[in-house]
Amino acid sequence: MEMFNYYLKLSVRNLIRNRLFFILMISTLAIGVGVFLANIAIIKTMSSDPIPHKSDRIFNVSLNVWTGDNPDAKLIEVMRYDDAMHILKNDIATHTMVHYQSQVYARDINSKSLTRHQAVVRATTPGFFPLTEAPFAYGGVWQQDHAKQIVIGDTLNQQVFGGGNNVGKALEIDGKAFEVVGILKPWELKPLYYHAAYGQKFKTTDDIYAPIETALDNEWAINVRSTSTDRINSVSDNRGKNGYFIQAFVQLENPQQKNAMQAYIDNYSQHRQEQGEVLRANENRLLDVNQWLDHKEVVDERMIAFALATSLFLAVCIFNASSLLLARYHSARFETGLRRAVGARMKDVFYQGLVESILIGCVCAVFSLFFGWLFLQISTRLFPALERTSDIDFSLIAIGIFVALVTSFISMLYPLIRSCRTPLSTTLK
Amino acid sequence: MLNMKNISRIYRSDTIQTHALRDFNLDVKEGEFVAVTGPSGSGKSTFLNVAGLLDSFDEGSYELDGVNIQGLNDDELSRLRNEKIGFIFQNYNLIPDFNLFDNIDMPLRYRGFTAGERKRRIVNALEQVGLASRAKYLPSQLSGGQQQRVAIARALAGEPKILLADEPTGNLDSLMARQVMELLHTLNDTGSTIIMVTHDPDQARSVGRNVQVIDGQITDHSVYAPTHDNATIPVNV
Repeated sequence: MEMFNYYLKLSVRNLIRNRLFFILMISTLAIGVGVFLANIAIIKTMSSDPIPHKSDRIFNVSLNVWTGDNPDAKLIEVMRYDDAMHILKNDIATHTMVHYQSQVYARDINSKSLTRHQAVVRATTPGFFPLTEAPFAYGGVWQQDHAKQIVIGDTLNQQVFGGGNNVGKALEIDGKAFEVVGILKPWELKPLYYHAAYGQKFKTTDDIYAPIETALDNEWAINVRSTSTDRINSVSDNRGKNGYFIQAFVQLENPQQKNAMQAYIDNYSQHRQEQGEVLRANENRLLDVNQWLDHKEVVDERMIAFALATSLFLAVCIFNASSLLLARYHSARFETGLRRAVGARMKDVFYQGLVESILIGCVCAVFSLFFGWLFLQISTRLFPALERTSDIDFSLIAIGIFVALVTSFISMLYPLIRSCRTPLSTTLK
Repeated sequence: MLNMKNISRIYRSDTIQTHALRDFNLDVKEGEFVAVTGPSGSGKSTFLNVAGLLDSFDEGSYELDGVNIQGLNDDELSRLRNEKIGFIFQNYNLIPDFNLFDNIDMPLRYRGFTAGERKRRIVNALEQVGLASRAKYLPSQLSGGQQQRVAIARALAGEPKILLADEPTGNLDSLMARQVMELLHTLNDTGSTIIMVTHDPDQARSVGRNVQVIDGQITDHSVYAPTHDNATIPVNV
């Protein structure tokens, strides 16, 4: 320990004595590590498990019910209203929910202000809440499929009512009153796995959760795909038509449940095929949350390519720092030679360099975290889509410190070995 | 104390082989003060580097204080350097931003002494060279002669078996050189074994034994009556 303190004292002295050199060297490493860290932060958030304790029990249901005549087309991941109702009827899953997304303008019906707040609606079924474990702050879910009752998220509750328990109050949406029966706590999901289908993987959770039948009854807008020549006159007219707009998720506790659910959707799809509706071979899928997110390429290839580029950039920074250190050790070879001459072993010189690399690594870690944060700020300003994908949490700080220490050590290693092996007789007179 | 037999040291480049030392034989007894002289490039420094375990040799055998050097690894050589050898360099080789205390402390650190033991030795060594009151001075605040005395103190603090001095007065004016030589003689009088490389024939004659090196070999071996003044008399040639 005494020698460690001695080496630390020497390292601090070296840093102070060669401060300009070390500022340059630490900056080189810190920029490399910072950019790398920022990239890791984005990828880590993108690839994180949004519901880790049950992600292997929640499954997206993809059905072979596409009526298009192109057998090579990719399996469609949304289904028709009738298909969704059939999935909903199953008594196999612990929880089942179907949903689609819409958008409305809402205001407090009792407010004197006519200002309406834009709100994202999740038109869904009661199973949504236990399946996703959406946390209720007040109240609960609606009791009837066609009820004019809604659950609102914390953000909308703050915007419209200023927060607090507002269960029993009403929102005006398109001139109609909807009773608030439940209010959620602040709730984050990254990625938003239940709506990873339409490039909204990192959006916030929704503002309004409403019964799907109510949403259709009230003509709340949908994005619908269709292969039919049927005339669809309204949103609610999609019931019984070939309009594809609903996603389904089920919670299955064990393989037996999963097999039973697979058989259930296969039978349904087979039945549709036998009726001549479906032209493609059976390809019904149950993908758990992480399989589903992989399938949706939540971490897209550009990010992987960028990760590779930042890794290479970090390598270049290490090489640069290493060549700087080589020059530094060359200029410090007198002192190294003197220490060796008076009795320092090669390993003593190496340990001293190691302590110096730890010290530099610690300083570098601080600057790396700063540069990482700065790079994320710049990235989110330039690319707003990254705003919710750039969290620096404790684990990332730990990774940053570790990478900074490792890069510091790697960049010191070769100069240190060279320094240890310098012939003593050439450095002293 | 120091026994070299048939030592050869050859420096090789792609096209040239240089015999820095060839069949070099030297036996130094405990308490001797040996001056090594010779023209530039004769092999004096190579001898001192080999003797100080700063350089290896190609052939021959070398025993230092009864320890055969051949085949020792870096740890063992470093320990020998630290425990048995004290170096005094022409350029003093003090670390400029360490004060005198820290400069002398450096070799003691690698010996693993406690802080108290190190302090005792440093204070003793500084007292021996007459600089006890200047422990917190930086080398740049001292004259050349004083810096060389600090270097001697650093060499003494480890209580080595032998002092190796490479032209210790080479950078000093005559007054300071005389002071440093007097200090070395005093140390020798108290039992220290000293080998000193020098260009100065007067200094060489002032010590007990003079070894002349030419072309990597000892060509002249004179023993003088041990006296500190310039009136030395050769007793054996």
